[in-house]
Amino acid sequence: MQPENPQSFEDLAQVVEHELFPDVDLALRRGRHIDRDDGAWYSFLSDAQAPLEQFYRRYGAELVQRTDGFFFLLPSGDKLGRRHLSPSEMLVGQGLTLLYLEPATVEQGGITTREQLLSQLSASMGTEPLMLAFNAKKKRMDERVAQELVRTRVNEAIRRLASLGFVELLPDERIRLRASLLRFAEPVRGGTSELEALSRLVASGEVALTEDAHDAADDNEPEAGDGDGDGDADATVDAIAQNVPEWSEGWGANFDQPAGEAADDEATSEAPAGDPEEEPS
Amino acid sequence: MARLRDAAALNDAAKPPDPPTSEASALLALSSRAPKLELSTLDLCFLATLYLRGQSSGSAAFTEEQLFEHFEQAAQVVERDPGSVRKRATHAIARLRAQRLLSRVDGAGLLRAGEYALSRLGAAIVGFFLEEDVLTTETLTLLTRTLESSLREVLTRAREAADADALDAAVVGPLKVTVHELTSGIERRQRGLDLQQEQFQKEISALLSADWFGAVESCQSLLESTAATLRDLNHVLLSESHRLQALLEDLQELALGFGAAAAEEAIRRAADQLDRIAAWSSGRQKSWSEYYQYVHRYLRDVVRLDPSRALTARLRDQLSGKSGKRFTLAVAHTSPPLLLREVAPSPERPPVKRPRAERDAPPDEQAAEDPFAVLEDAVRKQLDAGAASLRDVTALVTSELPEAERFRAAGRVAQVVARLARTRSDRERPWLPVSDAFAIEEWTLPRKESAGGRD
Repeated sequence: MQPENPQSFEDLAQVVEHELFPDVDLALRRGRHIDRDDGAWYSFLSDAQAPLEQFYRRYGAELVQRTDGFFFLLPSGDKLGRRHLSPSEMLVGQGLTLLYLEPATVEQGGITTREQLLSQLSASMGTEPLMLAFNAKKKRMDERVAQELVRTRVNEAIRRLASLGFVELLPDERIRLRASLLRFAEPVRGGTSELEALSRLVASGEVALTEDAHDAADDNEPEAGDGDGDGDADATVDAIAQNVPEWSEGWGANFDQPAGEAADDEATSEAPAGDPEEEPS
Repeated sequence: MARLRDAAALNDAAKPPDPPTSEASALLALSSRAPKLELSTLDLCFLATLYLRGQSSGSAAFTEEQLFEHFEQAAQVVERDPGSVRKRATHAIARLRAQRLLSRVDGAGLLRAGEYALSRLGAAIVGFFLEEDVLTTETLTLLTRTLESSLREVLTRAREAADADALDAAVVGPLKVTVHELTSGIERRQRGLDLQQEQFQKEISALLSADWFGAVESCQSLLESTAATLRDLNHVLLSESHRLQALLEDLQELALGFGAAAAEEAIRRAADQLDRIAAWSSGRQKSWSEYYQYVHRYLRDVVRLDPSRALTARLRDQLSGKSGKRFTLAVAHTSPPLLLREVAPSPERPPVKRPRAERDAPPDEQAAEDPFAVLEDAVRKQLDAGAASLRDVTALVTSELPEAERFRAAGRVAQVVARLARTRSDRERPWLPVSDAFAIEEWTLPRKESAGGRD
């Protein structure tokens, strides 16, 4: 997507008629963050920002632009669907943000690897708490199986974050970190206290507080196997795919379909598959 | 360039190259010699000392005493307080000679202590570590201008050529030596610039790690200088490569006109080399441009907005659970629309029925055939027909049998003949061939005169 020359849109009709509108609109509605690396999409949004803000406001959503250089859609009403990131996605997102801020990543031009992410998470949280965070329901954990499960869940979270535009997946297990990751650091940015910043963000609907990460993990992530076999980690993916959310919500509610078929579609779609934290609209 | 490519394609079609075979044979020859290089830091420093001393003194050869002296100097630098230097120097010199990095040049043998010099390999290794062959606008302009004048000379000589052989002689040698050397020089300097860029990236990272906010200015100046260098290089290469390619096209036309295959091949190689150089330039320009933008954004959005690096510390505390409340981000979510499959009418299938007829047919009774009886009948038939010897009977009876069974059948024929007829054999019983495969001991079969048959 190459950036284009600046265009001026006089009204919404011109915006809607633009060839990029359908793709950008769908991407925003699916939670995609669009930044400068998206080239033409970002230029289009910058040029058409004013009419699009009015357009999405009618759907009860806000087109947010951050000075870090990215756009995203934040639904606040009940016309467009929304969801909250799962605890594992949050942990992985925060780990990736730490890597984004590291000077060592600058050497690679903002590109990191899964190993570096796991190393960052392990160094920041400690190995035991990290394994506990991803294996909340486990009473007895075989270390090897637990580690495998962590890796599987981290990979799954990275894939979902990539579909939301927080990172870009590159060949050879490499990950390009994008500016939108700074959303994960919002509550601790700026001069105000963290509590104040969190309150402001909660009021705007950008974040929601969770009671306890482990409880949330229990609630939102399906349990994978008994932890006594080699197939435990693999079972996680299947379990996640089977735990399809209530179909469907908000925009697109007219596409009713049987739950069984929904599972197939969700597993292969670009949008995050069946997250239990979706809010019914 | 299109013309050049077309000509190259024609040339390829006429004479297909066979690089894998030549590569394989070259590799095989190399591996059969089992070459290897094993150099310690001290060895490299010793070689570098010889290289630098040779350059400063103007003499490339060293006496044995000088070698020991230079080794000691290198050891002093590398190890500060080295022990048993003389002994180690002896081993090092032997090791370097065995690896053909150092060679004896006096040829005096036993007569006196030798003189030694760095070999081409040794000088190249030291040159790689010491020399800074980095592409700059000045070196690139100089190299491309020299290349252009060389190509013009080649073109002038090619125009004077009267036939294909003369054209090959005028083009192939100069292109292979002069032009190849010059373009290799540019490529070597390109690799030097690549290394330098890698160092810049490491330096920027190290500067930020050491002095977060204070490093912004130095990082920006590093970025600007490299970006300017690449921009200039790209500009020079774009303008110069166009002229060089035009000259090569003229040469290619001449070569095609004369049908000079060797010249065409040499021109094609030179054109490929130029293409590689131009592609390198645009590729580096693009990747550095991306890196430039990324670091600028990083400096603006991360470093300048967080001069004390408090953000990283707070985020790490939050991730480890030491501070702050747990939270989760909200994102828009719309499931993709369901695409229904097209309904395809199922084809009419006949109902499933049990077959009425019995599937298994009852076995038929067949009369067994005794192969020995068949053989006996055949032998009897031949005897009645008046066969005069065992060889005749055997040859006739076994002729219809498969090749593999004839030898075994011959024994049975002899047994039947012995039973059915009177046989006679000479004292010296001859072995006569029945076929190409085997021979038998011959018997004659005397006829019974009165009955016209056998006794």
